[in-house]
Amino acid sequence: MSVAITTRSFGDIVAGACRDGRLVVQPRMGMSSPRAMRQGLLATRRAAATTVGTITLDSYTRIGASAEAAEAVALGMELNGYPLVAHDLATTAGVLAGVLGEDFPVQIRHGSPCPEPIVAALIAAGLHATEGGPVSYCLPYSRMPLETATANWARSCDLLAEVRATGVEPHLESFGGCMLGQLCPPGLLVALSVLECLFFRQHGVHSVSLSYAQQTNAEQDREAVAALHRLAGELLPDADWHIVLYAYMGVYPRTPAGADRLLTQAARLAVRTGAARLIVKTAAEAYRIPSIAENVAALEAAASAAADERLAPVPGEPADTGIYAEARSLVDAVRNLDPDLGRALIKAFRRGYLDVPYCLHPDNAGRSRSYLDRAGWLHWSRTGSMPIAETLRPVSRTELTAAGLLDALSFVERKFDEAGRTELPTTPGASAGALAEPNQARSRTPMLPLSTVPTTESTTPPGTRQHLASPTTAAVLTIQSRMLAAVRTFLSQHGFTEVLLPVIGPVTDPGARGAKQVDIDYYGHRYKLMTSAILYKQASLTMFDKIYCIAPNVRLEPLDTTVTSRHLAEFHQIDVEMAGASREQAMRLIEDLLGYLVGKVLAELPAEFERLGRDVAALGELLAGPFGRRSHTEAVATLRELGHSQNPDAEIDWAGEAKLSGLESRPFFLTDYPKGSRGFYDRENPQRPGYLRNFDLIAAEGYGELCSGSEREHDYAAIIARMRETGENPAKYGWYLDMVRDGIPASAGFGIGVERLTRYLAGLDSVWQASAFPKVPGVVSP
Amino acid sequence: MAAEPAGLLQPRPTVLPRRSGSGGLSIVVTTVVSDSHTWNLVFLQLALEELGHQVRNLGPCVPAVEVIAECRRSRPDLVVVSTVNGHGMRDGTQLIELIRQCPELADLPVVIGGKLGIAGPAGLASSARLRSAGFDAVYEDGAGTAALRSLPALVRAGRQL
Repeated sequence: MSVAITTRSFGDIVAGACRDGRLVVQPRMGMSSPRAMRQGLLATRRAAATTVGTITLDSYTRIGASAEAAEAVALGMELNGYPLVAHDLATTAGVLAGVLGEDFPVQIRHGSPCPEPIVAALIAAGLHATEGGPVSYCLPYSRMPLETATANWARSCDLLAEVRATGVEPHLESFGGCMLGQLCPPGLLVALSVLECLFFRQHGVHSVSLSYAQQTNAEQDREAVAALHRLAGELLPDADWHIVLYAYMGVYPRTPAGADRLLTQAARLAVRTGAARLIVKTAAEAYRIPSIAENVAALEAAASAAADERLAPVPGEPADTGIYAEARSLVDAVRNLDPDLGRALIKAFRRGYLDVPYCLHPDNAGRSRSYLDRAGWLHWSRTGSMPIAETLRPVSRTELTAAGLLDALSFVERKFDEAGRTELPTTPGASAGALAEPNQARSRTPMLPLSTVPTTESTTPPGTRQHLASPTTAAVLTIQSRMLAAVRTFLSQHGFTEVLLPVIGPVTDPGARGAKQVDIDYYGHRYKLMTSAILYKQASLTMFDKIYCIAPNVRLEPLDTTVTSRHLAEFHQIDVEMAGASREQAMRLIEDLLGYLVGKVLAELPAEFERLGRDVAALGELLAGPFGRRSHTEAVATLRELGHSQNPDAEIDWAGEAKLSGLESRPFFLTDYPKGSRGFYDRENPQRPGYLRNFDLIAAEGYGELCSGSEREHDYAAIIARMRETGENPAKYGWYLDMVRDGIPASAGFGIGVERLTRYLAGLDSVWQASAFPKVPGVVSP
Repeated sequence: MAAEPAGLLQPRPTVLPRRSGSGGLSIVVTTVVSDSHTWNLVFLQLALEELGHQVRNLGPCVPAVEVIAECRRSRPDLVVVSTVNGHGMRDGTQLIELIRQCPELADLPVVIGGKLGIAGPAGLASSARLRSAGFDAVYEDGAGTAALRSLPALVRAGRQL
């Protein structure tokens, strides 16, 4: 049974858009569940862009492990793509019903060196466009002999060509211009793309596309795509062809701005070079598989960048550095080996006429090497046996070293992130990109086996997997876990009850330092994520005299905190509140609590501290009795003596706080902040109006604030007055003021930042190292 | 999982002196059967070549039988197994057990490193398990290039036993 074919030929649709001056944009989407796959396709179709749909298949289907794929489907297991072969026809028909349209085709993407079952399944589902190639889907990701893959691809092309009898021209794209994603010089990419398309053509497929993956220099890319155009025009005169560009496939920028710029550059390249189609990527790519919405945002951003570029002045012809000549000589040399393109390709690799640098497949000669120059141009350092004339491409003596390899692999990420960082702030939501083909994205990932612990100056976390796999992270979080266990033991021994407090509520701590609150929709009401537990802590004292909780807080800190090493947009606090207590009692409790927990973790985890290289003696200081106390007024005077212009009426600024903590060898309390610097709940000193009965605990050695606390306002009239002074609207605080009006106890309490305390104990350079899934302000994170 | 740009926090290693080939070891670089990553293998090859060794790189997804066949054929001084996909404990153990079952490879120095899934408090025990299964050394991610420089000493020590 075959489903009715509902679209025109993929090639015709793309050619039509190209004639109309519209760039076709395409995601790399592949979802395991038919329902999600369908939603992804519909969202792609509805995007404000000229789009075509993508179904990317899972790794089991890719390697022909049909039993495993079928078992996964039967058990409802999540796969890293859509298992086209394992699903029955009705399921796929359900995915596609109402999705396919006259101008909306769907391409199957897979990465398989043995694609016959896939081609059969896509034809049965009424589809007729796919991609890959005998070389590009064999060498990078498999150990299958090239000869076997070539035979498989020949049969698959023959099968696909049969679709023509139904009245639709089938389409096949070569992935040859994307070999390994990185570090393959453009001449070879162009040649492979052309050669695979010639192979398709020889096996009866008349509509093809030639790929090229954006590399590391925009000018070189422009020349390469021009060369691809010229060669295709010369060598595929009897085929319907277009060029498809891939947004950069290597290590992606980690900032939204950097990812945006990279995608914009890809869209510009497509327009300038006359590429008809662009495969996009998203900012989320550096961290995880993007959501449907992120894919759509990337498609729309690319379409909009392309539309803008059409209005820009047309740049001159790219300079000719010899890419065309190099590609042409490679293609000619291969074609001269055998009239059958498949046999010619096999011979070419055997003789090293084609030799992909850094490709470890047994059938690749492995005698060529490449490097990046400072401007990101890709060059050969060794051409092995490839017929590349020295006059065309002088071979540099610059050999890529192991260190150079790392630099080269991260060149684009660094370049675009650095540019992006200077452009902060931007709108993270408006960022660019697309879904990775999960199976292939993995293979392109540079993961290095013997790296050292994260560099200390880094303000941005590494990728999630690397961070979680790091022995440093494990040691740090082990310390954190024991620390929290010690907190619970200590507080419960001292008569405190742990109360689980809300994460959302109609109102939250207004804060003072410019952090933004996060709104959520709570059944039509605007609720907040908690910035602190203060309101609930005070209210809970009507139930217990001594309470605590360890709870998450969300504060969208200003972007200048990205570089302070001690702010996270999401963090946790050990929040303690005691009815009837004074500020001095609260400070003493902190001294005792810290002394206890430091003693515990040092005794229990000597190996972890040693692994982190933490000077345990510095921590021992915490055990050595009470901490010093100095007032805000004194601190301002000290800072001014140091030439730091601290506002006497405000919170100590971050630089000032760091300076103060750098002066000390032991933590100290900073007390009596001026009224304007803190929230309404810190109690005003009746003996010294204008100053608060509050404190911060500042860690030594430059680690800065660990903890904030105070005696609390609890009188209704005083709270209303303080709210008005701080510019808060009391009407927002309905439930809290109701509680206060009926009476809440006087109290004192504090909140200790869990990640900051962990950072201090472990001696870390950045607070994000103390979180398994850190959210550094302004950085898009899992 | 999306691409993780791991390894970019690698410190810039100092330029390693290029030694003459004569003093170098003959080293097989390989990974385990389930791991299709290659940039880690490329990095190791370059780093070891820079230290003056000759490297035969077996590439991704290498079945144990191929590692054994290569070792029997070329009789390397050392085998370096690098794996980053998290199956290093399981696949690495299987690999080394099969290698050690070959009498002529019983004394061959074999080390393993990478993201072995042995981080965390259980790490030392797991690492000890890999060693007791037959590896001569186990390097978790984070060992640094010093580990690479220590390999010749490890091979010499093995020869004296």
